[in-house]
Amino acid sequence: MKRVLIVDDAAFMRLAIKTILEKNGFEVVGEAKNGIEGIQKFKELQPDIVTMDITMPDMSGIEALKAIHAISPNANVVMLSAMGQEVMVKEAIMSGAKSFVVKPFKEEHLIKTLEKIANS
Amino acid sequence: MTDFNTNDTMVEMFLFETAQLLEQLEQVILSSDMNNYYSEENINEVFRIMHTIKGSSAMMMYNEISVLSHAIEDLFFYLREENPEQNFCSSLNDLILDCVDFIKVELEKIRNHDDVDGDATNLVNKIKDFLSELKKNSGSNVSNEHYEVEKVNLFKAVIFFEEGCEMENIRAYSVIHNLKKVASKVIYYPQNILDDDGSVEVIRREGFKIHLKTDKTKDEVYNHLMDTVFLRELEFAEIDEETFSEGFDKEVFDYSSSEISLQDANYEEENNNQEGNILHKPDENVKDSQEEEKLHTDMRKINLEEEKKQPNAENHNVMPTQNIISVSVAKLDKLMDLVGELVIAEAMVLQNPDLEGLELDNFQKSARQLSKITDEIQDMVMSVRMIPLSATFQRMNRIVRDMCRKLNKEIQLEIKGEETEVDKNIIERITDPLMHLVRNAVDHGIETADERQLKGKPKHGTITLEAKNVSSDVHIIVRDDGRGLDKNKILRKARQNGLITMDEADMSDSEIYKLVLLPGFSTNENVTEFSGRGVGMDVVAKNIESIGGSISIQSEENKGTQMTLKIPLTLAIIDGMNLKVGKSTFTIPTITIKESFRTNKESIIVDPDGNEMIMVRGECYPIIRLNEFFKVETDVTDISDGIITMVSQDGNAICVFADRLLGQQQVVVKSLPEYIKRFKHIKGIAGCTLLGDGSISLILDIASLIHIK
Repeated sequence: MKRVLIVDDAAFMRLAIKTILEKNGFEVVGEAKNGIEGIQKFKELQPDIVTMDITMPDMSGIEALKAIHAISPNANVVMLSAMGQEVMVKEAIMSGAKSFVVKPFKEEHLIKTLEKIANS
Repeated sequence: MTDFNTNDTMVEMFLFETAQLLEQLEQVILSSDMNNYYSEENINEVFRIMHTIKGSSAMMMYNEISVLSHAIEDLFFYLREENPEQNFCSSLNDLILDCVDFIKVELEKIRNHDDVDGDATNLVNKIKDFLSELKKNSGSNVSNEHYEVEKVNLFKAVIFFEEGCEMENIRAYSVIHNLKKVASKVIYYPQNILDDDGSVEVIRREGFKIHLKTDKTKDEVYNHLMDTVFLRELEFAEIDEETFSEGFDKEVFDYSSSEISLQDANYEEENNNQEGNILHKPDENVKDSQEEEKLHTDMRKINLEEEKKQPNAENHNVMPTQNIISVSVAKLDKLMDLVGELVIAEAMVLQNPDLEGLELDNFQKSARQLSKITDEIQDMVMSVRMIPLSATFQRMNRIVRDMCRKLNKEIQLEIKGEETEVDKNIIERITDPLMHLVRNAVDHGIETADERQLKGKPKHGTITLEAKNVSSDVHIIVRDDGRGLDKNKILRKARQNGLITMDEADMSDSEIYKLVLLPGFSTNENVTEFSGRGVGMDVVAKNIESIGGSISIQSEENKGTQMTLKIPLTLAIIDGMNLKVGKSTFTIPTITIKESFRTNKESIIVDPDGNEMIMVRGECYPIIRLNEFFKVETDVTDISDGIITMVSQDGNAICVFADRLLGQQQVVVKSLPEYIKRFKHIKGIAGCTLLGDGSISLILDIASLIHIK
């Protein structure tokens, strides 16, 4: 079972993602509500996949992504982006994000993206 | 689609979080309003809040909220990126606050399971107009970015993404980005995948076309491309040098009228030496003006580090662990209930009649330990339910601001002691009364700027909102430096309405001011939009009394008025006086008791219907015999054998007749069990409590008893 870390500042979004993932056979091993916490949890939990929101207080998802990549260059980080954040998603991809999902996402989109990454 | 909006936990979380965010948002806006300037931090904060609300509401399929928050987000994105001259602050604030109100109404509908049918089109248009106005006023400079980077096997590929995966252009970019590991040169179409929104449509319609030069085999490249997420279809073939350098057919360019030169993406040798981040050198290219418009906002480097800083968060090694959890109030209520019962059970054990006369040293020692712990638990549970008044106070900022604009007054709201904590249930019930008092202060208290200047006062009026702990009460003070209450006007008005019951000459100032709190009194003849919408101070007084609090008024003409609300810390525990009637015990909240006395038959007046009344200092009060009212058997039927207690609420008083007084004690208030409430609505009973000996005492509802008489 793939172990996922959810990084998102919105508790609602974390719950939504968690609900979807758990329904589809992923194990949510941790949640973080900003980039700093995300990095810490990543070190601690060594998840297979990280879902990373972009806009967060204290430390953005992009910064966190870069830090995680520095720790583990093969980390599987999937960005969660909103419509209109193309520039940031581009930066994320350049910084090593494996893929991205656009909010509001459909359940199957999130799952498909994560499964693809989990199997690659 | 995931039907989140039928999932209760999800809805609750959405409502909770969004409401919190809106509150934060209001505060940010109000602070910007005060400075008449949006700091970078504030802009980022608003942006982030709207971004989150947009995301959550879109997931919940509340489209209007989502569209509206998106519009605001766009606006603040522009403010953040372009940092235009800020001469719009207050009009922008009005607009955003309107939007906040709209979302709040929608949330309320969701909470009540009503149709979420609000239409935000108007607001969205206003925001868009605002944004385009801003854009018009500031010239925009354009920068551009292109990737110009530079051999053996040549391939062509056409990629189709799955429908609905969104941001096809960025997915295409991601493909190009990943190809750098395998290819030395890539040409692709459409070229402007990042800059031109139109490219998304082209990719959806015609697919994303790639020509690539690589030293890898066909299979390697094919497998690489097959790893693309959301890949629906891949056309893949080998091509010759000629096709490769030809690029793409001329006809496919016709989606844009402008000339587009072929754009190459050459990956420099860097991928041999460097892992991870590869910087592409942007090459300046001349773009057509249509694209410039869209581009200039996107192309700036976005600095996300500027977001709200927290002192602890600066050191990345120090982890701000999650040290706050949210717990449903229902659980806390239940816990409070259980602790109440624990306290009673403890008393039942420790004061058990079986123990009487026994020498139990060890038992007593353990008992003391138990008492100490239950006391601590009780204190702790009480403190858990306490929340600071700050949110309630901050809300007043908004009211003062809105009213000042409408009434054209200049008022500063000073807040003191907002960290003071009060039981959650109480906070909910004092918000409206407090709002009313603040409205009154703004509307009737503070004079207009001209009037103030004539009186030699500072132009700015000041309203102070203060909270402080005084023994087991909290005092909330609303003070203004306005015109003060006019005693003569109050007396005249009270006379008109027949509210004066004693000699006017004997009335103290505070007694005169208290007339304001009586039902049917309103000094302001002209009802304005804000104060006195048919709701007078009497309602405020009633609300405060219903939670066991009281109001006192002090005022000095032309100096100002001060209203002090005395509020108990909690509703769950009250001071009560226990009365015995036959075998039953009743509890009266001590705060309502005026006096207790014995009387004799001669003082009793009986009206033709048989109702008893008693004269006390020239006033006539009805008597309720508890034994008759609640049909309790008792030996004490002679009025001179029992005791009379005078109780009052909302300025009305009655006398209650009981067998005897048992004494005063703090009691834990419990509501009547559901099945009793369902079975019959019992008048005159507010709840019940357990006494130390395990017996039940009914708590009298004084307000309803007075109403009955």
